[in-house]
Amino acid sequence: MSFGSPYLTLPDFQYIKPKSLQEALRLLDEYKDEAKILAGGVGLFAFMKERLIAPQYVLDIKGITELQALRDDGAKGLTIGAAVTLNTILEFEALKERYKALRDCIYLLSDPVIRNRSTLMGDLCEALPYVDSPTPLLIFDAEVEAASVKGTRRIPVTEFIRGVAEIALEPNELAVAVHLKAPPENSRSLFFKHTSNGEFSVTNVAALCANSSKPEDRTVRFACGAIAATPTRVREVEELFKRRAPIPQLIDEAVKTIKKSVEPMMDILATAEYRSHMLEVLSIKAFRELLAS
Amino acid sequence: MRVNGVDRKTEIKDNELLLDIIRDKIGVKSVKAGCWRGECGLCTVLLDGKPVKSCLVLAVEADGKDVKTAEGLAAEGQLAPIQKLFVEKAAMQCGFCTPSFVLTAHYLLQVRPNPTEEEIKDYLGGHICRCGTYKQMIEAILECAKLNTQRK
Repeated sequence: MSFGSPYLTLPDFQYIKPKSLQEALRLLDEYKDEAKILAGGVGLFAFMKERLIAPQYVLDIKGITELQALRDDGAKGLTIGAAVTLNTILEFEALKERYKALRDCIYLLSDPVIRNRSTLMGDLCEALPYVDSPTPLLIFDAEVEAASVKGTRRIPVTEFIRGVAEIALEPNELAVAVHLKAPPENSRSLFFKHTSNGEFSVTNVAALCANSSKPEDRTVRFACGAIAATPTRVREVEELFKRRAPIPQLIDEAVKTIKKSVEPMMDILATAEYRSHMLEVLSIKAFRELLAS
Repeated sequence: MRVNGVDRKTEIKDNELLLDIIRDKIGVKSVKAGCWRGECGLCTVLLDGKPVKSCLVLAVEADGKDVKTAEGLAAEGQLAPIQKLFVEKAAMQCGFCTPSFVLTAHYLLQVRPNPTEEEIKDYLGGHICRCGTYKQMIEAILECAKLNTQRK
């Protein structure tokens, strides 16, 4: 039943479920912008119901075996295919310790029922400022593998997200997997976010730390998102933590550096001042937790 | 599509949602249409055993798959233990959301036979009950877990 409201129904389209990656890439090369990719459908159907997009073809990629890849290659890193659901990722052993920032992020992404359908790649490709997944991916130097009929290439997440709802994919390209680099030995990572109305992030941070007690061997990584149009890895703070100085002093300097390196935006969710304040609060919380031990 | 153990055939259009097909063409009315945008959780069905929100699934995606609704839990007219306990604990007021909570609770008890209260709250996070009978639902699920363990 529908009441004819644009918010309840989907516009007309042709549904196609390619059986192989080659077939999907060939179709995408033929249809280009007229086709949209369906994995979890959570974002896609929302945008289609709102009539923000009305693709002629919807390509369901869930039948493609390669895109279901979920692999921990130890020191070589972690691969997450475009059609792997968030709940499948959450249950994956490697995430529980070594990639904990990503795990914490996914756990907070949506509710458990939605997570049976939605995918990490879907979240990433929305590229809206309040989308959380890019931030933890930045601290694992993640890359998006894009494939087309001409071949594949890898795009670092920093370059993949170009602006609001703008990603570095050509119309004939399919994002097939996210590759995370293995974190340093004995590292710990975490992810925090602050939301407006419990749903959309207005600030999120991801941080990683190894060898916290020895300044010269200490590795710290920090990224923040939902503050500006694109997420940022703040590399200046990473050098700063190698200095010999009391931890509270280093944290103080780091937070100042972070606040200088991003320009918070104002939108319907929060003011720039509020975002700036929350960035300070969450950064301090993250550094204290990682550097305390 | 197999709905509650019975093979059902119906003609669908590519852009039709599983929710609308189940209610209007198959005629299973325990699946409720609330928000059509994945927020309220009332249209939850078990698709190949896993809970999904049917307003965010195309009917064509369920082609050849197994769909279970609250009706399917009551085999041969006998209520499932979790359904009985929802009644006993009065875990409903208007009842509109009840089938979806029952389904998710059923699934939760399958994957986690002894859930903590926190896990239950966490897992029901995708559903909204506007009458606010969450407390009684949690009691019903905890009780059901207890009974299941005793039976074993």
